[in-house]
Amino acid sequence: MAVFLAKRAGQALVAIFGVMTLVFFIQRLTGDPTYLLVPETATQADIEAMRQSLGLDRPLLVQYLSFLADIVRFDLGRSFIQNIPVTEIIASRLPYTLQLAGGALFVAFMIGLPIGLILALARKYKSSNILMGVVLAAQSLPTFWSGILMIMVFGVWLGWLPPSGSGSFAHLIMPSIALGLLSMATYARIARSSILDELSKDYVRSARARGVPQGRLVRRHLLRNSIIPVISITALEISQLLAGAVIVETVFAWPGLGLLTVQSVVARDFVVVQGVVLLGAFVTIAVNFIADILYSVVDPRIRLDGAGQ
Amino acid sequence: MRIRTALLAATCAMVLAQPLAAKELLTIDLVNEPTTLDPHMQWNPDSYYVYRNIFDNIVTRDNDGKIVPQVAESWEQISDTELALTIREGIKFHDGSDLTAEDVAFSVKRIIDPEFASPQLGQFNKITDARVEGDNKVVLVTDGPYPALLAQLVKLSVVPKAIVEEVGKDGFNANPIGSGPYKFGEQQRGVSVTLVRNDDYWGEKGEFEEAVFRAVPDAATRVANLKAGTSDLVVSLDSDLALQLENDPQVQLLTALTERVGFMGINTTREPLDDPELRKALAMAIDREGIVEGILGGGEKVVSQMATSAHFGYVEGIEPIPYDPEQAKQIVEAAGDAAKTKMEFATAPVFDQRIVQAIQQMLNDVGFNVEISMSDMATYLKTVQQPEQGSRPYLSFGRWSCACQDVDGVLFPLLHSGSNWSRVSNETIDEALETGRSSLDEQERLDAYKTVHQLVHDETLILPLYQAAALYGGAAELEWEPTANESLFLNRMSWKEQE
Repeated sequence: MAVFLAKRAGQALVAIFGVMTLVFFIQRLTGDPTYLLVPETATQADIEAMRQSLGLDRPLLVQYLSFLADIVRFDLGRSFIQNIPVTEIIASRLPYTLQLAGGALFVAFMIGLPIGLILALARKYKSSNILMGVVLAAQSLPTFWSGILMIMVFGVWLGWLPPSGSGSFAHLIMPSIALGLLSMATYARIARSSILDELSKDYVRSARARGVPQGRLVRRHLLRNSIIPVISITALEISQLLAGAVIVETVFAWPGLGLLTVQSVVARDFVVVQGVVLLGAFVTIAVNFIADILYSVVDPRIRLDGAGQ
Repeated sequence: MRIRTALLAATCAMVLAQPLAAKELLTIDLVNEPTTLDPHMQWNPDSYYVYRNIFDNIVTRDNDGKIVPQVAESWEQISDTELALTIREGIKFHDGSDLTAEDVAFSVKRIIDPEFASPQLGQFNKITDARVEGDNKVVLVTDGPYPALLAQLVKLSVVPKAIVEEVGKDGFNANPIGSGPYKFGEQQRGVSVTLVRNDDYWGEKGEFEEAVFRAVPDAATRVANLKAGTSDLVVSLDSDLALQLENDPQVQLLTALTERVGFMGINTTREPLDDPELRKALAMAIDREGIVEGILGGGEKVVSQMATSAHFGYVEGIEPIPYDPEQAKQIVEAAGDAAKTKMEFATAPVFDQRIVQAIQQMLNDVGFNVEISMSDMATYLKTVQQPEQGSRPYLSFGRWSCACQDVDGVLFPLLHSGSNWSRVSNETIDEALETGRSSLDEQERLDAYKTVHQLVHDETLILPLYQAAALYGGAAELEWEPTANESLFLNRMSWKEQE
């Protein structure tokens, strides 16, 4: 276990360092935020002065080294545009992203998993194709369209839910559904194929032969054994959801990290982008690590030193 | 029993009284959250929509666009380079302290200090000093005669010296204290800013006890919020969304012509556009009426000079170049191969691409070879402001506002050969622009600008297209007159319950 942890921590550090270096240089290749910060009437001298005050006039390597030095001291810097520390900006957005990711995951899980189960068990019936069709439709609807549609129906016509914004449970419902429907389809398909795999295995046949009832077979054996791929998918989904759901956040005016990232990229607010990417890299690594541990909990045959995998 | 009746009566009275009670909270949907509430820092509409309610400016503009007193009660040009402001007495900051001449001088010096690095520095850097004289006088010194000074002071907010010095830049941004009609309430990052009415305001008080400005990036969502009644005023709509407001009695469309001019920049220093005939063909090929009525449709107006009637320096009598694609075609044909040069047409996603594409089509229809070059705003700004005039793009689309309603802020950056946006090199124009920037004689300035407008027209040095409109959606009960300078002054808004 200790070897596993040490190895993982080492890998994580290398990965984070690589990601940060990439982000730092790629962003600086894409342009210069100074022009966006000054009014149109600014002269070349004004622009130069602004560039100096942001520290962007220094050689790239100097900027990079001071950036690394700051990171080591856990200082993510200050936003060029909002003039406040990046940690403060991210900390104010993170709770919203967590809420939305949680809501979406809940929707995806609670709808996707049962649908996958039904699809697998009822595969002999033609009518199950209809359900598959519904799943595909849900996945194919672009959120900028389904989101606005929901807003018009439930927010404006029926007046049941607040059309946009944040602050209460009611605000969370529509964005969670809009975002969750996408992952729901993934869950349904993964669960279906994974259960189908299990169904064809010998232990299922012998359990059936022993007369184990269907309900118990599903609960005690099938679900547990087919859950591993679902855990892997959840790890991927979580990192994706935390990286932000740009379109859903834009449509529902949900103040999450995705919206912040896109706005910061467009505004060339390098410092904020760096902070968000660092967080994203960290979350992805952490979630995958947790998934690895969960594998061994669900299936004791998998051992963390890698021997069982 | 009697108690129950009394309670019932009281409840009824309360329920009945509800619709008569004044509207207490006004909800406004902006595009983004204000990036800063310190009025000397970031310069963008979402910020100044909010902080212009917290702070008073040195002077302001009334709804007709006239410069009227605010913190400065009167002013006098005491020499070519000195403007004396008399500071109004009895103005109090939200913490109860008096606004004094010291605060005004401090505010000016703060924004012109290069160390402070205000993004707005370029608007005020002709001011070299501000000194306090006597109890209530501040003298502003400029580096030369500067006629547009008052027009710029419309945007200079007065901050309390003592507080800013005590809490510092960050502290002040987090908890701004001004003297305006509304006080800062709270800010939820990424979500909203709440302002509370200043009941001790010296001037016109606000009608609403509270106002909340929310960030709603998607325009369709802003319209949905308005229609659902969860917001009372929304900004930045386009004509398609405006149509959705038409048949709904609960909401109204509010529009104002702004001081923003849509234009096509032309690089007159680059072949083949150094030929005035070909530039004229560009102008003749573009159907500006068609763009304004067919594409924009939000009340925009065709203009024939780089100015609107909201600007000082707008002159009568400049005729538009007529739309004449046939003649344009002949000119292009006569020019032969030169006219076939592939020309990039720089644009960015913030502009209305329908217009850009229509212009490209119209130009190519008469025989030009124009290619749209779309890049993000930061790259676009860098491209059009290349250090070498000759390497700036052949053509570019733009919408210009100096937020000062004085053509100096439009023509000088766009046409003076030494400016970073200019693709024109013309001595007569440079001289006239310098006169316009430095003469304190209004007639002399107008004459100079007439020379510029006329030359721009005769030689097609830049192509003015239209005066942009700002489209807002409001609840039917909202009474408010949007103005050319795109401000949302809460104390100029009121609420009238519908019958």
